[in-house]
Amino acid sequence: MIMTPTQRIVRALIAWVVVAIFAFPIYFWITVAFKPERDIFALPPKLASFDWNFASFQEVFGISFGFIEGLEVLPGGGNFYMLPRLYDSIIVAVFSTLLSVVIATLASYALSRMRIRGQHHFVFFVLSTRMMPPVAVAIPMFFIYKNFGLLDTYIGVILVHALMNLPLAVLLLKSFFDDIPAEIDEAALIDGASRFTIFRKIVAPMAMGGIAATAVLCFIFSWTEFLFVLTLTQTSLKTVPVVSSTFVTSTGTAWGNMAALGVAAMLPAFIFILLVQRNLVRGLTLGSLKQ
Amino acid sequence: MQLDAPQGSAVGGIALRGPGRAPRRRRYLTDSPWIWLAPLIAMLLVFALYPLFYNIYLSFHEFVPRKRGLEFVGWENWQKLFDDPRMWGSLWVTLSYTSMCLAIEIVLGMAIALLLDSDDRGFGVLRGVLTLTLVIPPAITGMMFLLMEDAQFGLIPFVLKGIGAMDGTGAILSNPRLALAGVMLADIWQWTPFMVLIFVAGLRALPRDPFESAMIDGASSLQMFIRLTLPMMSKVIAIAVLIRGIDLFRMFDYVFVMTSGGPGTATYTLSLYAWQQTFSFIHWGYGATISLFALFIIVVVANIFVYVTRLRW
Repeated sequence: MIMTPTQRIVRALIAWVVVAIFAFPIYFWITVAFKPERDIFALPPKLASFDWNFASFQEVFGISFGFIEGLEVLPGGGNFYMLPRLYDSIIVAVFSTLLSVVIATLASYALSRMRIRGQHHFVFFVLSTRMMPPVAVAIPMFFIYKNFGLLDTYIGVILVHALMNLPLAVLLLKSFFDDIPAEIDEAALIDGASRFTIFRKIVAPMAMGGIAATAVLCFIFSWTEFLFVLTLTQTSLKTVPVVSSTFVTSTGTAWGNMAALGVAAMLPAFIFILLVQRNLVRGLTLGSLKQ
Repeated sequence: MQLDAPQGSAVGGIALRGPGRAPRRRRYLTDSPWIWLAPLIAMLLVFALYPLFYNIYLSFHEFVPRKRGLEFVGWENWQKLFDDPRMWGSLWVTLSYTSMCLAIEIVLGMAIALLLDSDDRGFGVLRGVLTLTLVIPPAITGMMFLLMEDAQFGLIPFVLKGIGAMDGTGAILSNPRLALAGVMLADIWQWTPFMVLIFVAGLRALPRDPFESAMIDGASSLQMFIRLTLPMMSKVIAIAVLIRGIDLFRMFDYVFVMTSGGPGTATYTLSLYAWQQTFSFIHWGYGATISLFALFIIVVVANIFVYVTRLRW
């Protein structure tokens, strides 16, 4: 559409204001993490003119930010010492991502290149598992895990998160494999290569960008997941989203500490999401929409 | 030509396209698709079908404190499900939450997508910034809005009272009439950008020619949007509705951290109700029954939707 210069400036202005409204809660949450306790409740809110400090981060991560001298780890840590919970989050997200990407890469290569009976139904069944309400998996899983001693273990949470990400990973990777011409495989087949050689030497390397994007999305979904971790863990591990609800205590909510932990949980996800911008829409639509 | 080569031990297993070109080929284990699919199928059997059947088993049993174990109760849980006004209440909450959020997010998302669909400088950055809300753990988003909607210290009641849109105590989440709206606000803030991104991608992929012809014919912007943009975007909109609709229907995180279903039962969703029946009230079988009911509704509705809109994966 043709627009006059004035219209273009007005449009840009409105666009910036709209995006600023969406970005504001994030900025506000960051300020809460850096505010002294008393300023959190100030009205009108102090958005910049307060004493920026790291006190909340020090309490949550048990690290003293003595700048220039380097980091000094405080001994022990108080009620809200959360560094181990951050490690839990990383372990769960990394291993569940690995598991689902490996399983999904193999499966989606076959779904993209070979024909099975009822292929359409099988793909649809995979999609249907994406529709299951997590609560309908978490309730039976709790009892199954209890019987098998998997409750409150890393392996249990990793397996469930891998399952949760499988439909996304399979459908998304299938769309990436479908982009690579099947003639390449056929040429190599005629030369006597095995399917696995073709996969390992040709197709997987060509789809590396797609596999990486899939892995990033799996990581993010595991990182932000709440219900499974809430249900299937008790004391030995907890990921960040679940543990942040423990900041609500009977004597009041430790907003500053909670915001500090929240900011620490957001940052890696922000970095990751910016890495996959190009494939983001395809990922969010389970591979059905290409950018 | 190898066509008439005698059948040896290496029998040609793979079907190559086109007759008459295939030399006999060694047979490999990985020629069969089932080898490739085996880990996925194993995973789905153990972690999707087994829990599903276990859930069905649970729905015909109930925890008996005296026995400290499960007891077979037949159809009792299902009977109870259909007679339980709180279940119907939570279904109603879930459906209104889903439909209202979906409607608002589509309209708002489309408006913002039209606004941001530009090659001008800076718009790429704006679209990038919008993606940030998508990766915040919803539980933490819930906490953010819990603080911002606090009756005493919250920013949102403060602003609303400032512009005169709200009076009284400023309570949102503890007011039965506003609590669901308060939860919806968090959802809309976090997921409208999801719609924006998908719609922008759809808008960018539209062909230009129809719009140029329409412009020459003197069509207005509104006419072009209704007659050209919307029909050409129908597949994109259908995908967005399907994925967002599923996630809205099974929403748990926001209500769990923001209201725990309260005040009263104003924000009980089906997922939360099922979870609480199982883990707070120790009605293992009944909770499983509710979760199965939710599963049933969503799978049926989503499948009908996919069938009607002819979406393909």
